[in-house]
Amino acid sequence: MAGDIPATNGHGPASNGNGQSTNTFEVKAGLARMMKGGVIMDVVNAEQARIAEEAGACAVMALERVPADIRAQGGVARMSDPKMIKEIMETVTIPVMAKARIGHFVECQILEALGVDYIDESEVLTPADHLHHVEKHPFSVPFVCGCRNLGEALRRISEGAAMIRTKGEAGTGDVVEAVRHMRTVSGEIAKASQMSDMELRVMAKDIGAPFDLLKETAKLGRLPVVNFAAGGVATPADAALMMQLGCDGVFVGSGIFKSGDAAKRAKAIVQAVTHFRDAKVLAEVSTDLGEAMVGLNVEKMPEDQKMAKRGW
Amino acid sequence: MNITVGVLALQGAFAEHIYLLIQATKHLPQGLTWHFVEVRTPDQLAECDALILPGGESTTMSLVAARSGMLEPLRQFVKVHRRPTWGTCAGLILLAESANRTKKGGQDLIGGLDVRVNRNHFGRQTESFTADLDLPFLSGSSASKTEVDTRTKSFRSVFIRAPIVERILPHQPGAQDSESRISDTVVAPSRPPAAEDAAAQKAVAAQVEVMARLPGRATGLETGQTAREAGEEGDIVAVRQGNVFGTSFHPELTGDERIHVWWLKRVGEMVSDRRGAV
Repeated sequence: MAGDIPATNGHGPASNGNGQSTNTFEVKAGLARMMKGGVIMDVVNAEQARIAEEAGACAVMALERVPADIRAQGGVARMSDPKMIKEIMETVTIPVMAKARIGHFVECQILEALGVDYIDESEVLTPADHLHHVEKHPFSVPFVCGCRNLGEALRRISEGAAMIRTKGEAGTGDVVEAVRHMRTVSGEIAKASQMSDMELRVMAKDIGAPFDLLKETAKLGRLPVVNFAAGGVATPADAALMMQLGCDGVFVGSGIFKSGDAAKRAKAIVQAVTHFRDAKVLAEVSTDLGEAMVGLNVEKMPEDQKMAKRGW
Repeated sequence: MNITVGVLALQGAFAEHIYLLIQATKHLPQGLTWHFVEVRTPDQLAECDALILPGGESTTMSLVAARSGMLEPLRQFVKVHRRPTWGTCAGLILLAESANRTKKGGQDLIGGLDVRVNRNHFGRQTESFTADLDLPFLSGSSASKTEVDTRTKSFRSVFIRAPIVERILPHQPGAQDSESRISDTVVAPSRPPAAEDAAAQKAVAAQVEVMARLPGRATGLETGQTAREAGEEGDIVAVRQGNVFGTSFHPELTGDERIHVWWLKRVGEMVSDRRGAV
């Protein structure tokens, strides 16, 4: 994305009488800003969470099965057992995120009660509502949601998402879809930024996005919230590729703990995201990492097995 | 005179600081040329007269700094050469001589401020908040056409999983050894100021000044009283000691450049003094 999000002072309700307020959009989107330039890693237990923390992850995503296993094992994928999430929260001091099914607002209420730092309303789990996403504004916990294009991103922000991730195709180790989605969003924003208000109204209708958010995005030349890459990132080079394409940071799911040497690969991806333009550092950290996750070729995958298509 | 201000860009909200630094230059006296740069390597740091350590994840920044060969150059910059440095949130943690509630096994600190910082003091993200703070040091700033009422207006401050200064420590030569004996507390290693450097010697002799407090939350919320009325002083959320300044909140998230203006003026003075002395 072209630029950076300017600091704002206008989001969310004004502070209350004695000058203190919680849960404003500013506070929710603020935590996402603190994670920029960092790597958020999928972990399935406390031990993996510690490896991620030691590797320099800026947050962990607690879930029962990484996407590669959800793919392999099939069945309905749901919110994780609170016991596991709590163990992870007690083990690490970095922010802990957890996933809820699309539209499953009760799973979100439970995650909020547990006190997780971010909720991912995620297509990696089996959707619980075929039409609606969760209304996210009323929650005190901030949300991150996936997108494949600008319309989807702005619909999620309009519902209250304080952070966006391009979807990619989770659990494949194939970065092609992450690139496709990021390039699609950037391309649409570039087009929008050349448009008059009248043209933006037509575009808003065409992509199913609220006009005001589209106009703000066009003016900024980027999404108005932090945007991470996700889905298929398996190597330091993949991570740096997404950063050079303009992402603010990177989610790595199956790519770390499905590889040969998880700790080493995790550290390498963290270094790659900081030094994403420094090819010498990238060459150094890419060296001798052991086996990457095996990977599934997205092009050969039947349409009905693509998780990125979930979400409306 | 050219002054280069770096923002440590290993991880976190560094772009926001650069945005506000640029905004702030509109309110600064003419005659100085400011350059703002992202700092990821020792070579980039060597170009800087002053440095900001932004908000972000302090654990990540500390680990990435160590692996990028930045920890020692940062300690040299802050503690040996005593150049102007400002840390916000995670940056404040890294600049503390002592910190607790760190990850298992602790974390590396840079140091420079004789304080103990309590990490994630208010709790998790659902306990994050904004507060309007009175910052007396802003109203003291002279110059600029800014009217008095805008200078004294309270500062909307964003606290995200924020640390506070839990204790001000007596300054002593060497590391804060008594702190290192407290369980779950990590301390920064000692790096004495350069002996031939008068400005550094002067900076290291400075005491910690409390620059801002957060009025007691619970009391304030229930009765609408200010902290002072309630007889509470409130948590320490901004401190200065010689060349080092730290805030536990995020001025870079507010669009309000007043603290950046104030700090850049101090940087201008410190850099002028130093260059005059050479």
